[in-house]
Amino acid sequence: MSMLLQVQNLRCGYGSLEVVHGASLHVCAGEIVGLLGANGAGKSSLLKSLVGLLHPWQGDIFVDGRPTRGQPAWRSLSNSMVLVPEGKMIFADLTVRENLLIGGYHNPDRLLQLEIVLDRFPRLRERTSQLGGTLSGGEQQMLALGRALMARPRLLLLDEPSLGLAPLMVQEVFREIRKMKDLGVTVLLVEQNVVGTLQIADRAYVMETGEIILEGLAADLLHHPEVKRAYLGQGGKKSWE
Amino acid sequence: MNIFDRRYETMPRAELEQLQLERLQALLARLKRNVRRYREKIGDLRVEALADLPRLPFTTPEDMAAGFPYGMFAFPMREIIRLHTTVGPEGKPLVIGHTRNDLTQWGRLVARQLVASGLTANDVIQMSLGGGVYEGSAGYLFGAQVIEASVIAEDPAHIDSQLAMLQNYRPTVLVTTPLNALELMRVMEHRRLDPQSLHLRTVLLSRPVGSATREQLSAGLFAKVQSNFGLGEILDPGLCVECGAGQFHIHEDHFLPEVQDGELIVTTLCREAMPLLRYRTRIACELSREKCSCGRTGAILKPGARLDRRLCVNETPLYETQIAEVLAQTPVSGRPFQVQVSDRRIAITLPMSEDMFSDTIWVLEKLRHEIESEFLTRLGIEAEVRFQGPPQPA
Repeated sequence: MSMLLQVQNLRCGYGSLEVVHGASLHVCAGEIVGLLGANGAGKSSLLKSLVGLLHPWQGDIFVDGRPTRGQPAWRSLSNSMVLVPEGKMIFADLTVRENLLIGGYHNPDRLLQLEIVLDRFPRLRERTSQLGGTLSGGEQQMLALGRALMARPRLLLLDEPSLGLAPLMVQEVFREIRKMKDLGVTVLLVEQNVVGTLQIADRAYVMETGEIILEGLAADLLHHPEVKRAYLGQGGKKSWE
Repeated sequence: MNIFDRRYETMPRAELEQLQLERLQALLARLKRNVRRYREKIGDLRVEALADLPRLPFTTPEDMAAGFPYGMFAFPMREIIRLHTTVGPEGKPLVIGHTRNDLTQWGRLVARQLVASGLTANDVIQMSLGGGVYEGSAGYLFGAQVIEASVIAEDPAHIDSQLAMLQNYRPTVLVTTPLNALELMRVMEHRRLDPQSLHLRTVLLSRPVGSATREQLSAGLFAKVQSNFGLGEILDPGLCVECGAGQFHIHEDHFLPEVQDGELIVTTLCREAMPLLRYRTRIACELSREKCSCGRTGAILKPGARLDRRLCVNETPLYETQIAEVLAQTPVSGRPFQVQVSDRRIAITLPMSEDMFSDTIWVLEKLRHEIESEFLTRLGIEAEVRFQGPPQPA
């Protein structure tokens, strides 16, 4: 398994406020990697820096071994890297079909890809002419995922896809993300839903206050005392001193 | 190829360094949060590349002894599910804690060694590691569980019961100490037992031995001999894997090795309960990153002698100060003495003084017996006491 994405010592922030203090991570081709953390840990900022929406202050980003730091956001597409931002950000006034086609705007085979995506998400096929804004929360998330797949990405960056969804819908979204693996898509999944993420991910990182404090196999992290304390509500913090 | 975890054991160097940097940064963040001793030492230091490692503070065996028993733990006791002990500087005890994940990882790391030694789920393992401070049997047990090999849970202390077990249970693998393996070989030769009548395929030794001993054992027990190099304070076994080419590859995805002034320094990257930053092992070592024919990419360790005054008697670590402490509990307290150390026992020579002397032999014999049994009870080692010379004025 080769490393598709390598991030070394990345620092970024807003104005004079640094929110990510030197984070390093990697994603191998074909993996689903979770990036977990509480609100304000710096997860979304890290994702934005990866695609160029937020200019990194320091550090290196390599996609397939090529440095991409400092490149504008639109270039990330040519690196086959697509971000599905937090809050879905679908076009409410456009139909499902139009939303999807916009995702594949640069893809000459977009109509072919559209069929593949609609096969993947039968629920969207039923609603191709419906306006995006009239879909339910879960369907909008599926649409956002489908729109990202239209660009035929190799690396999909998902920012809190389960946010604001009903529990049943959350399960379905996670199931869809798991299926991305079959399409050969590598996923970096930023989430607050720890259990759900660790169940579908191969590996995960845990971020706290701008630093990555843990890395490991998803199955192992479920039993990590730090994860249990901070996210699963088992045991309070009492250091043995 | 006998490689258990191909992804990590044969990881290309550039990828391994990326992983090590990630794990080192995360380790520093955790240490600063969870261990007061490290919080004070590390302060605002940050690591931006592996080359920054020498800027980080060391951890010494003395630090660990100062933190006895639980001062180095990164988690409260309820998260620690296993405590092991090892011998620290000057014989002081050290406590090593493990969380649930630590034990899982330990099993996987030992499984790498077992698979490298050619073990499979079809093997039956007998462990003859004896009691004492060596805690390796737990590690081998976890490792065997991972590869689903059968383990005979009993650890027979007496050589006769070991031999009986080898004949009755027909184990294919014997995990033992070099001294015990040699003793077993000697007894078998003495009793004219054909090693081929046993079913042994592999003998796994708990510590490295020279090539002469290895060949002697291999011929005497009619089995492939592999050894292990570990550190009680970190992991023993489970620190490295001895490959088919006879090289010790440290598990670089879990441990970051350095050699400074000839001393091996190890940082534990994944340990949860008791992470150690730049631990000075007090062991002379050479480190090379040459390509090995086995395909593993972990650095090759060539362990040498100990750099402190630790002796090893009958597989038990021993310091001279401990000998003086034991003698202090006997009537010969405070007197000069000389020690000779052999593999199995120590010989203590005490110059005879007038107040100790008696012309009744049983009085001297009683004194000698008293001293010898004190060593056996306190340190678990056999001592042979000799009184020397004509009585000197006290």
